[in-house]
Amino acid sequence: MKHKSLLGILLGVFLLLLAACGGEDSASTSTSSDSSSSSSDSSGKRTVVVGGLYDITGGTGDVGTPYAEGEKAYFEYLEMKGGVEGLNLKLVGKDYAYQIPEAQKLYQELRDKEKAVAILGWGTGDTEALRQQVAADQLPFISASYSENLKNLDESPYNFLTAASYSDQGRAILKWIVENHEGDNPPTLALLYNDTAFGRSPIEDIKAYAKEVGVEVVDEQVIDVQATEAQSQLLNMEKKNPDYAIIQQTWGATATILRDAKTLGIDTQFIGLNWAAGEGIIDIVGADVAEGYIGILSHAFPYEDMPGMAEMKEYLDAKGKTIDDINQKFVQGWVAAKIMVEAIKIAAEKYPEGDLTGPQIREGLEAIQNLDLGGLAANVSFAPDNHAGTEKTRLGIVKNGKWEPITDYFSYRD
Amino acid sequence: MRNLFVRECGNYKTSYKEDMKLFGTKSEFIKWLILIVILLTLPFYASNYWVGMLTLCAISAIGAIGLNILTGFTGQISIGVGAFLGVGGYTTAILTTTYGLSFWISLPLAGIVTAVVGGLFGIPSLRLKGLYLAIATLAAQVIITFIISRWDSVTGGTAGMVLSRPTIGNFTFMSNSSYYYLSIIILILTVLYSVNLLRTRVGRAFLAVRDRDIAAQIMGINLFYYKVLAFIISSFFVGIAGALLAHYTMIVSPELYNIQVSIQYLAMVLIGGLGSILGSILGAIFITLLPVGLTSVVDLLTAYMPNLYQLFSAFKEFVFGLAIILFLIFEPGGLDHIWQNIKHYFKVWPFSY
Repeated sequence: MKHKSLLGILLGVFLLLLAACGGEDSASTSTSSDSSSSSSDSSGKRTVVVGGLYDITGGTGDVGTPYAEGEKAYFEYLEMKGGVEGLNLKLVGKDYAYQIPEAQKLYQELRDKEKAVAILGWGTGDTEALRQQVAADQLPFISASYSENLKNLDESPYNFLTAASYSDQGRAILKWIVENHEGDNPPTLALLYNDTAFGRSPIEDIKAYAKEVGVEVVDEQVIDVQATEAQSQLLNMEKKNPDYAIIQQTWGATATILRDAKTLGIDTQFIGLNWAAGEGIIDIVGADVAEGYIGILSHAFPYEDMPGMAEMKEYLDAKGKTIDDINQKFVQGWVAAKIMVEAIKIAAEKYPEGDLTGPQIREGLEAIQNLDLGGLAANVSFAPDNHAGTEKTRLGIVKNGKWEPITDYFSYRD
Repeated sequence: MRNLFVRECGNYKTSYKEDMKLFGTKSEFIKWLILIVILLTLPFYASNYWVGMLTLCAISAIGAIGLNILTGFTGQISIGVGAFLGVGGYTTAILTTTYGLSFWISLPLAGIVTAVVGGLFGIPSLRLKGLYLAIATLAAQVIITFIISRWDSVTGGTAGMVLSRPTIGNFTFMSNSSYYYLSIIILILTVLYSVNLLRTRVGRAFLAVRDRDIAAQIMGINLFYYKVLAFIISSFFVGIAGALLAHYTMIVSPELYNIQVSIQYLAMVLIGGLGSILGSILGAIFITLLPVGLTSVVDLLTAYMPNLYQLFSAFKEFVFGLAIILFLIFEPGGLDHIWQNIKHYFKVWPFSY
């Protein structure tokens, strides 16, 4: 008897789950048929759905959460300002917890159920895993991954990079090292990264460029993206005593590295790529440990006085928030969304009739020339044969518990 | 003709031939036929999204059946399924992309290569049982993913490799429904093979090895042969699933084949029911669709409480774990057992005693 009732409960839960899937399906098919069957809503506007893949609860959620909030905020800001002329812009995003299979399922959902015509993505692994599918479905894809692989137009014809690629960031650091290195010996370098597509993405390019400019790579250490301890790797690195170490991680692992390096008394100059830089580092390890840490500043900080901040301040005011509530990764998400919307605007002007399609938005992106982001990021330009928006980036240093830029936007080719 | 709704009862068979029939009664045959027709006509009335989801379910079901042959029938735990999927995926990626072979040749080759690799890792199974074997297969997981991500010149390293969808003449399996048909047909063939496997000498030897291997050996069953054979057959299907998945997502990368995938497949087999083909399919559907269902629930809740999205998203993982624990506690027989219970209930209704 007892067994039977338990069985009943389990069955009930299972059926409920099924019902939830089914119910959701029928609800959303009705909405999606609204958007697809009639190209315009009651006010005569054309609906454009942009899909979002967020990492909020996964391995890179530390930087993924503010980034996702930035993207959502830009769409809310547009809506607040009355939207885009003649368009009903919508951002539909989901958390995929940094799991590639999950990203693939959500992507199918965005494509088939929500009828998204463009995607704002997140990680390197999933962006690379989706690039073929995206190309086949002709959906322009702006990712938060700046992996050099995505520059390859044959394999990723629908991917766009909105900031300097990880490899270009690494090259920029090498250029800075060569120009600023003191002492008679050639500079020596270590590479600290995690064993994911994201972590390994720039390593070979950095090594190749280091050879070119005369920086000696003396050591490489693999540190997990969620590591809470890295002493053994740092002790190994210390044996080679490199002058500099480039970190390709997100906030969590970077903080671990800086803290353990302080504990072990390592005097190597640590330099982080863009996801290893930002306010989060200082918040986690404290101002005294972070002091002197250098990082790539691909985007502006909320407290920097930039013309592009005006819109964001307007948004924050309306929400009753201040710039203290947001951080650099929020700005990064905001900028990614802004570039996508810019492309949609261009496409909408060029094709005033009918629903906007992926290829049209791709044309819009490819028409973007030297888009001024008001100092929030380096200006971006795309072309049919170039989907890397920029090669320029900045470097900054932690001084008195605050990031300060030490260079302006520059490219390693300058 | 006999009434379709009258169920078979009792066991009255007068010849071996009759005993070996796949479908005991005509009604059973017709029921399966109807099910297959429903499966084959699904793309005509299901939305594109659901066809895509069911394709993923079908592919996982092939892998889960493979694992069930090893774990459910022969009683050998494997935590290396993720890596074996990877072997299948990379084999077809290398054969089709680097060497330009046709998908139709590379698919069985992917199965064979995975079977060979699986057989190699199955060799320790004679000496190792239970937890020991589990750790040995975990080693396979680590070694294979290590090789995949380090052997850059062949596998493309962490960047992975790009594949294309299979073609026949001028037709490409680009649409969701065409790929659904491809997967579902291979799934049906897999089911047919594995159901029949259990009725053969080899299948019965597997069961004997599972139930008490020493007794099986005394009966004259060559333990080493059958244990490795189980690894080989199981890995073949896992490799086929890996190859199908690779061509479906059109990319292979080491991150797609991590330990989490292995655990998910184990969960499919456990939740579906050990030693049951139907269970493998139900488990594959359950594990593949549970996150989707949970996301829908989160979406529903967020519609009323938009500020709590982050909390609900984190809660999703919790519910996923909880569902699995509850299953293992309250229905160790899995979904298959639940289904048998339901069938039994109606069979004897209203006289359930």
